[in-house]
Order: sequence, then C-alpha cells, then structure tokens
Amino acid sequence: MIRRRLPRAARAFAVTASIVCALTAATGAWAYHTHFVVNNCNTNPPQYTSYFTRDGSSTVALYAQREGYQWAGGCWNDNDVDDSPGDPTSDPGTGGEGPDCSGFTFKVWRESLAESDAGAYQWNKLRNVHGPYTSARFKSGDGAPNVTYGKGGLIRMDALASSSHIGLIYAPNADGTDQIIEAKGEAYGTNIWTRTYRGDSGYGGVRRLGWNA
Amino acid sequence: MRKVPRRRIAGATAGVAAGVIAGVGVLALAGVSIARGLETADRDPAALIDATHLPPLLTLPGEAVTLRYDVYCAAPGADPESGVPCDAGGTAYVRAGDFGLFRAVPLRLDAAASQGRYSAEVPSDILGALEGFSYYAVLRSNTSGATTRLPAGGQYAPLRSRPLGRAITVNLGSHAFGAPRRATARVASASWGGAPGQVGLEQGPELQPIGGSSFDVGATGVVNLLDEANRRVLRFAPGAAPPSSVAVGVRGTIADLAVGADGGMAVLETVGDDGATPLIRSFDPNGRSLGAWHIAERSASALELGPSGPTALEYPSSQWMPVLERGTAVAASTQRERGRAGRALGNGDELVVEREGSEARIAQVGPRGVRRSWRIQSSTPLGEVQLAKPLGDKLVVVLRVYSDGRDEFEVLVLDDRGAAKRFSVDSTAWAETAPLARFRLRGSALYALGSTPAGVFVDRYDLEVS
Repeated sequence: MIRRRLPRAARAFAVTASIVCALTAATGAWAYHTHFVVNNCNTNPPQYTSYFTRDGSSTVALYAQREGYQWAGGCWNDNDVDDSPGDPTSDPGTGGEGPDCSGFTFKVWRESLAESDAGAYQWNKLRNVHGPYTSARFKSGDGAPNVTYGKGGLIRMDALASSSHIGLIYAPNADGTDQIIEAKGEAYGTNIWTRTYRGDSGYGGVRRLGWNA
Repeated sequence: MRKVPRRRIAGATAGVAAGVIAGVGVLALAGVSIARGLETADRDPAALIDATHLPPLLTLPGEAVTLRYDVYCAAPGADPESGVPCDAGGTAYVRAGDFGLFRAVPLRLDAAASQGRYSAEVPSDILGALEGFSYYAVLRSNTSGATTRLPAGGQYAPLRSRPLGRAITVNLGSHAFGAPRRATARVASASWGGAPGQVGLEQGPELQPIGGSSFDVGATGVVNLLDEANRRVLRFAPGAAPPSSVAVGVRGTIADLAVGADGGMAVLETVGDDGATPLIRSFDPNGRSLGAWHIAERSASALELGPSGPTALEYPSSQWMPVLERGTAVAASTQRERGRAGRALGNGDELVVEREGSEARIAQVGPRGVRRSWRIQSSTPLGEVQLAKPLGDKLVVVLRVYSDGRDEFEVLVLDDRGAAKRFSVDSTAWAETAPLARFRLRGSALYALGSTPAGVFVDRYDLEVS
C-alpha cells in the first residue's frame, strides 16, 4: 500500500507544480513582477530642508531620466535602465521601477505628505513614495505648496498639468515648444521630450511655491 | 459507487498542495533572479552634467544680447541628490560672423536670475558685426570636472546669431478666439480602434490619449497617416475610400512621419530604448524596412526629408542634424559637427525661427546673410511655430495662439508687404501627436491633423495664393 500511495502523491505534486507554473507564466504575471520595489526601495522618512532651488530640483529630476515608469510609483535607481520593463498598464500593483507623472512631480518638487505643509523635503530616489496628488489635483493647485499660474509666465521647473498628465518644464526651445521632463507612460519611461503642452488648452500652469532661487 | 480510500485522498491532496507551493516558490525565485539579473550598477552620480540654453538666433539692431545657460550637475558634498545647486562654471566662445578665431568669454553666475543663471555678454565689437556672430560654450562641474558642450558640435557647428535686418512687422493684435475658418475639405478620417481603416490609441491608466501621432502628404495628394499604435500607415488617396494600409515596424510610441516623392517613408521615433538615443527608421513604399539609425542627441522633435536624406531637430543642441545621407548613415560625431539652427530649404537657404514671448521672428537666410525677415507680434501669447515654409515668393507660417483656457492656430501667408492672407484654424486635438506634426504644406494647400474622442482626421485648407 505504501509503495503505491507515494507515487500518487508525487505525481500529484509534479502535475500541480507544472500546472501552476504554466498557468502563471501563461498569464504573464511572473514576467512583469520584477519585485523592484521590494528588492530596492525603502520607506525612510524624508529630510526637511530649508533651502531648495530650481537648479537643485532639475538635478534631482535628471537622476530619474531613463529609469522607467510605474503607475502610482515613486522609486527608482540611477542605472539608465528601466529595471521593470513591460509592466501591463492595467495592473497598478506590479511594484516596478519608476515614478508616474504626479509622483515624479511630487518628489522633484520636494513636497510633504501633509497637504497643509508647504515646506521642502528631500526624498531620496530609492524612497518609494507617490504623494497625495494626482495630475488633476496638481492642475487645480491643490495643496499648500502649489498654485495655478498663467502659462505664459512659466519657467523651468514649473509644471504643465492636464486632468490626466503632468510634466515639468526643463527648458524652453527657440521655436516656442518646451523641453519637458516627465514620467510619460510605461512605453515611454521617464525622460526629456519636446512638447507643446504650454499652448494646449487641456493643460494649465502650476507653480510650486517657495523656491529660494 | 466505488468508495475512494481516505488515505489515497490525503496523499493526492498533500501532493497538490505541495505542488502549488513549489510552483509558486519556483516562480518567485525566478522572478527575483530575473529582477536582479536586469538590474545593473548605478551611474557615477558625480558624472552627471547637463546644460540648457535658449539661443538668440535673430537679433535687432542695438539689441543687447546676453548668452544665458543653466547647468545641472551633482550637488557638492556627500549627497548628490541633496538638491543644492551644483558648483558650475564655463566659457562661451564667440566670434564675429562665421570665420576666424573664437574669443573666450567666461560665464558668470547671475545669482538673482531664476533661469539662465550662467551668463556672458557678447562683446560689443562682435555684437556690432554686420554679419552677426557665431558661438558655442563649454560648461563644467567644478566638483567633478565633468564637462558638456553646447551645441555638441562646438567650434565645428556653432550656433549662429544673425541680425534680422529690415524685417517686415506683422501685428496680429489680440486674437479673436472662436472664429476659425472652415476647411476646404476633410481629406482623411478614421475612428479609433484596431480594425481595418481605424487608428489606434496608445494605452495607459494615467496617459493622455495618444494616437495618429503624425502624417504627411505625398505629391499626388495622398494623405499618409501614421497609426503607430497599430504599427501601420493608412493611405487616403483623393476620392478613394476606404484607406489602404501599410504595415511598418515601428515602436508604437509617439513618432514623426515624412514621406518622400517616391512614397518611401521615414519615421522619427521620439522615444529611444534603454540607454539609447531615438531612431530614424526608413521604409520603402510597401513598408519594407530599409534600416534604422540613431540620432546623435538625447531627443528630437521633428523630422524633415530633404534631397539627401532625413534630418532631425535634435536637443539639447537645438539644431537640425543629418542622420542619413544618400543611403549612408552619418556618424554621431559628424551629425553634431553638421548641426544647423535653421531648417534647410531646397535652394540651399535656411529658414530660421525664433519665438520669444509674444513675438516670433522668422528669417530666410542665404549665403550672404538674411534675405528677408518678418517680426510677428501678438497681444495674445504665442505658442510654438508649427510650420514655416516657402510657397513661391511667399512664406506660410502657422503659429499657435493661446490663453490659459483656449488655443487656436493662426495661419499667415507672408509676403514682402506683410500678411497677404490670414485666418485661424481650430486646434481640435483630443489625442496627443508628435510636437510639430500638426500641419503640412503641399503645393498651395495646407493640411491640418486633428482629433476628437470619436477619431482622427486631416483637413485641407486651400490657400488660393497666386
């Protein structure tokens, strides 16, 4: 009896393990769960800073260049590679590398999780934080540090926000377009692109208050 | 009914449970190892350096010209991400005209400036030169010693600032929104989707709608609409329906399209793969790939298909650079060394555009300098110059005018007296396109790309210019 029962259990084990692997792989779930956030990111408290500048925030933004995009994300390294490529856009919980557009703005603008606090806080790139604002809320100027601002007067590190996207002005171009640094989407990652958001009536101007320079 | 022994059930159940656990475990370990395998070492944070500059391409007599730059590099001290401005510096190299030695002018920090914080005044004797001046700059991090050059071609492809000369002033006044001209004809339209004859939308939960990101019009009036999401080009022949479809191997993200006289296509992918610069892809009229070539700089906003091959407007140098010439790839270093701020015209001239605030300056430049020029002034803020192209002895210009809540395009046909023709076009663009892909000029017809939540379309406006 014992000789017959053990092979049955082993067969069940082998068949089930194979089915689990096959089903999971077939759904693609294993392919995009790269565990980037689990393996790399932290929840350290931010560091309050009394001095913050557009120069400094531009530099902070540049460290996110080419580091991918993650819906609702806010953690990245600086190896110039999207370490979790191909996350399905329908799944917000893939734990991949990169910020989304509003999380990127929140971190680069060095904002507080407390919406009533206009102070500046340094979030390291590996701190996984998104912040309380969506692009639509930024567009409305929600939160103590943020105000809506006339688009014609926007300068570098001001933002252009729509109901579904926000990007930071990196530099104006001679032809009237702007170079925008933004977390654009899973297929785009985070980088600098030329855009015409400024003239687009779907976008409004947003300024972070309190720059020292 | 035969009764199954309880022990047998227990054994099978244990096997299934162990199998589930083992399967999940194997995949978790595989996932972790994949993730770790993908991750490579961080860059040296101290090596970061980048610079931006808005070039004064067209100047007025007596206008003071300050060259302004912003420089970004690692913050000094232990934490490169601290947000403290980097300790930077640099030198601008300036000369009168196009020849001779450059004069070094150190950049100084203008601590009060919100942007363009590193600046240099152009020496008055150079600024006063009839032919204008050329210049480049080398910016450096004083902390790490890292340097960058703007434009990247340095002395071989300096930026060129030209006196505007006797410019014709066109005053647009205050724009009256809500009175756009009706199109002569709708020459192409497609609903959103993946079926034949439809145009796809790129997907993403926090993504603006993006689709039909560029188009071009062939010599016979065939409208070629890039459907990047479905990786194809839809061709709308005049009077024929439905459109034909040509599959093209593109990335599926925002791209610009240019179609040659033979129907061959060039596509500028504005997005590069990991660590790489964007690509220009070339296809024959049937969509067969003829190759792909990297541009030299980190980004590009527009593509032009000239007689020698495709050129791209590249950044941060802010110059048009040749990417392919007569079928031969142009090396990145050569692209940089041949950058030009103006768009090359068929006769060898260059068309230079500069928009600053509510004024746009446009000049056609020949070998001896500015041939003709215009100053377009507006009480309503001006956005980007979408198009500036000669039409016979005239120049067609399309600019965006905007307020905080509205925008339209202003179409101008300029001649030696001012605006021979002027009308506005609705800016309808529900879906995002490539930045400078909204208008094309073929013959005396202006074509405009637009979209609504229902689909994408191309309208034709006959300019009726003699």
